Amino acid sequence: MQTVDMQQLKSGEVNLGTSIMAVQFRDGVVVGADSRTTTGSYIANRVTDKLTHIHDRIYCCRSGSAADTQAIADIVHYHLQMLTQQSGERPTVHIAGNVFQKLCYENKDALSAGIIVAGWDKDAGPSVYNIPLGGGLFRQPWAIGGSGSTYVYGYCDATYQEGWGRDETVNFVKNTLSLAMSRDGSSGGVIRMCVITEDKVERLFVPGNELPKFWEGEEVLKLIAPVKKRHEFTDDMAVEV
Amino acid sequence: MDPSLRIVPSSAPKTASVQDTSNSFGLHDTLRYGPRSLATEVQTTSAIKDRLENWEATQDNLKLTTLRNVYGLHAPVRLLMERKAVSYNPHMPARSTSNIHLDVLMGRDESVDCADFMMPSSELRQPLDIHAEMEKKLRM
Repeated sequence: MQTVDMQQLKSGEVNLGTSIMAVQFRDGVVVGADSRTTTGSYIANRVTDKLTHIHDRIYCCRSGSAADTQAIADIVHYHLQMLTQQSGERPTVHIAGNVFQKLCYENKDALSAGIIVAGWDKDAGPSVYNIPLGGGLFRQPWAIGGSGSTYVYGYCDATYQEGWGRDETVNFVKNTLSLAMSRDGSSGGVIRMCVITEDKVERLFVPGNELPKFWEGEEVLKLIAPVKKRHEFTDDMAVEV
Repeated sequence: MDPSLRIVPSSAPKTASVQDTSNSFGLHDTLRYGPRSLATEVQTTSAIKDRLENWEATQDNLKLTTLRNVYGLHAPVRLLMERKAVSYNPHMPARSTSNIHLDVLMGRDESVDCADFMMPSSELRQPLDIHAEMEKKLRM
């Protein structure tokens, strides 16, 4: 008997094929993401905001199924609001990461969600937590995720340095996401970033026409023989009928 | 309450089967329903049906588990205790039961569902079998 598999991301379901990242620096974290949401090959939303507010100084980057990650983020937001009321102070990023991790692990058979949680708290300062598909929790100085991340592991490994300030980190995120977006079909649009520090959260926006450009193959095209000469060559080879 | 953070009902098949035709001993009641037949014993699991049937209970359970994790075990215990206290019905199993207090506690006092206005309850009611109802209730 044909039974519908309710649990998996069905073909054509709205997908956050994506490039997301978060990097920790001296005074805070920079989180960044592309802005493409796809339903199969149709881009359902080309200006998506994948950086979701979880708490005052805690944001999360969502990749995977759009519905799954929104549902989880809502539950965690609710949970942390209750914690804030109870304790009277902001929850730490470690707590937020653990709440995400509990949900992702216990529902791992039904979810398709890769989440990066990052923020600032007064106990640990800036921190970045990566929660990949299985529901593990990993604290890292920088984390990349989504389908586009596979193309930029090398670039990130080669470029990342400890001890950066705000501007260098923002540039690192901008360049990395730009490279990922240019190679991954499921990533594109604009770059959205949040810089989270003790004092504030600053939202940055890089439109599609201002993305950093890398090698685009212009010099390769110049090596091909100019068009005029090709026409002459063709005339010599013309076949008379 | 199940201390789990399931967001949606899981598709795990249940192995225990509760027969509709069971008597007070848990066996098939031949005198009332005739010889055993395949129709009453085979249970086809439909993923979507199970999901929809268990939806509200799963969401409620998630909220209770969150309360437990944030405030401690007493929070969901008190709520469940209130619900139980309010569900006590000393009367004989009567035809129409409406429990406004329980609706208020469950947060559905201000919502109207299809079942509330579509079919008159007199047509849904099965033939009066007070004895069977009382038996079920007192064996609890």
